[in-house]
Amino acid sequence: MLNRFLVYVLGAIVLATATFMLTRNLVISQAPVKVMSTIETRIAAGAGGWNACFHNQVYGPRANAARRANPDSIISSMAYDLSDGPVRISGETWPRYWSISFYQQNSDNFFVMNDQELPDRTFDFVLALDSHETGALGGTPIISPTAKGIMLIRRFAADSDDMPGIIANQEALTCAPA
Amino acid sequence: MKYAAILLGAVIIVAASFFAARAITVNSLTNHNSIFDAFEDVDGTWMYSDKIGAAAASSVERARVAIGGPLGLSSKEAVYFIATRDDAGEPLRSQCSYRVTGVPIDTRWWSLTLYDSVTQHYVPNAENRSSWNSISTPRTETGNWVINVGPDPQDSAWLRTQEAPDQSFELMIRVYNPSAATRAVLPIIDLPTVERVSC
Repeated sequence: MLNRFLVYVLGAIVLATATFMLTRNLVISQAPVKVMSTIETRIAAGAGGWNACFHNQVYGPRANAARRANPDSIISSMAYDLSDGPVRISGETWPRYWSISFYQQNSDNFFVMNDQELPDRTFDFVLALDSHETGALGGTPIISPTAKGIMLIRRFAADSDDMPGIIANQEALTCAPA
Repeated sequence: MKYAAILLGAVIIVAASFFAARAITVNSLTNHNSIFDAFEDVDGTWMYSDKIGAAAASSVERARVAIGGPLGLSSKEAVYFIATRDDAGEPLRSQCSYRVTGVPIDTRWWSLTLYDSVTQHYVPNAENRSSWNSISTPRTETGNWVINVGPDPQDSAWLRTQEAPDQSFELMIRVYNPSAATRAVLPIIDLPTVERVSC
């Protein structure tokens, strides 16, 4: 009788521990995905859809910025979805500092390049999945590990006097299905 | 009947463990100090992480950074330092005044930003300023610089803390495109001192 009771208790402990650990690992692995999905939805709403540019055109701290956002970087962003094919991002860099970065759905920054790493002031990237055929599209291919993700372009604004130039730079940016 | 009781007990155990694990894990990840667990101490004042946006980050580090500071750049492009304490090891408090004194940082550009530690956002202020950067910060001929932090307005470079007393805040230094010489010694670079002037 006692042995059977101990078996039940041991079984309960094993079951509780296994459930606890599985749930914990699931929550931890899905947390970045949920954060990314939330941000993607906000960007897409601001841009009028996926695979389109959304521009912050305000200098300094913003009330609706992400946690611990950088007020010295003026951001253009795009929530991308490559399910229907590659997306093209093209335009001009910004001389003080410019970078383009891509984040896969688990929030990893899988690609970043700045203006000093480009041969000239213009850029033409084609964001695609590994399964896409990009040879005929021209541009520099970038392979995303996941169909969905986020692109950010950062431009360093030393002060508010930089904003007219940055806004003109943003308006020359193209984000669209390739 | 016996097996039904065992099955019911198992379902209750699974449900209780699931909800307990979810609550504890979410609480742990969303705690406003959680992100600092992804950082290592540099000098007692500043903390550093090269796990921002990195594929090498553990799943816990990735989750904490995604929640507390999403979409940061990987260390290939920028590195981040955070201070939540002054040089004496005391927590940064809104009613105190601090002097942040630095030497030139060998990098393309840097910035110092103040955040409310609880909201993890900017501190609202009439000056519309939460940061100073390597161009906007006044510097001496040698390139040294001072940024004052506290509740009272200053004529020189100044970052305002929260109006309410006894609030915690943090300072973040972003270093973009650090030089090869700076990278070689990371994270032991010439970081600014954070001295409490009054309280």
